[in-house]
Amino acid sequence: MPVHVSAAVAGRVGRRPEGLIDLLVEVGDRALDLAGRKPVDLLLVGAMAAGALGETENLVPQLADRLNLEGASGVRVDAASASGAAVFHTAVQELAAGRAVRALVLAGEKMTSQPVAEVTRVLARSLAPSEQAAGASMPALAALVAQRYTSRFGSDPAAFDAVTVQFRRSAQGNPNAQFPTPVSREEVASSRVIASPLRLLHCSAISDGAAAVVLERGTGPATVLGIGQGLDALALVDRTELTSFKASRTAAQRAYEDAHLTRKEVDFAELHDAFAPFALVDLEDMGFCGAGEAAAWFLDGSTGPDGRFPVNPSGGLLGRGHPVGASGLLQLVEVARQLRGESGSLALPRPPKIGLAQSIGGLGTHVFVTLLGAGSGEVAG
Amino acid sequence: MSEPNGLLVNGCTNCHSRYLPRPGRCPRCGSDRVSPLRIPARATVLAATELSVAPAGFATPHRLALLEASDGVRILAVARGPLPALGSVVNVMRDADVYLVVDEGTPVASPKPP
Repeated sequence: MPVHVSAAVAGRVGRRPEGLIDLLVEVGDRALDLAGRKPVDLLLVGAMAAGALGETENLVPQLADRLNLEGASGVRVDAASASGAAVFHTAVQELAAGRAVRALVLAGEKMTSQPVAEVTRVLARSLAPSEQAAGASMPALAALVAQRYTSRFGSDPAAFDAVTVQFRRSAQGNPNAQFPTPVSREEVASSRVIASPLRLLHCSAISDGAAAVVLERGTGPATVLGIGQGLDALALVDRTELTSFKASRTAAQRAYEDAHLTRKEVDFAELHDAFAPFALVDLEDMGFCGAGEAAAWFLDGSTGPDGRFPVNPSGGLLGRGHPVGASGLLQLVEVARQLRGESGSLALPRPPKIGLAQSIGGLGTHVFVTLLGAGSGEVAG
Repeated sequence: MSEPNGLLVNGCTNCHSRYLPRPGRCPRCGSDRVSPLRIPARATVLAATELSVAPAGFATPHRLALLEASDGVRILAVARGPLPALGSVVNVMRDADVYLVVDEGTPVASPKPP
């Protein structure tokens, strides 16, 4: 049974005074308004660290109470930094199976109320125990992947700078972005080192934010064409590859199969650029270019809004900010809005028919890929 | 001060992969036919990073190296000294739950005599 996005709302990302529940209620209320206040029988919530960082628990009843949805059913869904995509997939599966008619899907994260070292420690709990014992962080392991990528392909390290420059430029048009100001390659390359060779402007920020969508059965202007997820070994040292995420490749393959589509039919993508080098790895893992080719794509502008394959026209995680549990759903909101013609100044010059969103949980350990299509003639997988 | 008897690793008798000791079955093939063995405590530096922000409880700068020992065994090790150069060969030791790089590394171009 097909499923479509009937309302899509992104909250403002950044340092917000509100707590997690208030952030979620704000976007949830707006989504319910957009969907005409039709009855919702499923309330699903995605968050990564609601307790450890957001200092709240029991999310579904808390939100049902505030949103007057006590008549619905619901659960919280967690897939680390892919929670926002995971909760969307869960809703799609429930609706497609006929177990619900209309779902309100919420995802959010409150991160800025804790010191940076504490946030770093909480995020690192996603890593393997051996990695946590060694004092590894997400940026540290991303830095190791980046070095392997550069060594293996001999790529120009300036491509990482170009990623940030492109996404920050795109974020200028995003009213919800945490970083709506452009940066130059020189500014990126001279920002302070976080985990060599990664610098501050190669790393997504600590952010508060939330997103909401209403999903309904049937087709619509943003219909779910296919979903897929993949897993990989938890520890980096146990992976067969260091310059590609197997979980991403698996998730993409399954999503393409689910949608009966090939990568060539996809018009644009929102990729998980928690760290600038990931944008390169992601572009390759989704099959949009060959291994080692993505650096050239970012350097020559192929991935810009008017390029041959637009990536992250919303500004991505680097421009929009990265409220971890919300990011996967924020990406899907952006894809749906592009397809629905609701993107305003972010609208791509060539109106897209099919968009892909890829969200990574942990350090490439759990990946969710979603394909959405414009128009009502599409068939969901 | 490296491990005189070598590093303890797990060896899978089914797929023959070698990996650092961990509970459960072989992470590559799922076999339970796993037995301990030792490999030389020397490894090549695949990548290394210096952190200016570390998880709470770790002093900065904090340095980590991704190493490859014999038989494809990969190790994430803490470097308490200078950041070892990519491609250099270092000695490794285990200290409780953590692996340590115990020297600055030997450039591959001029290997130490054995």
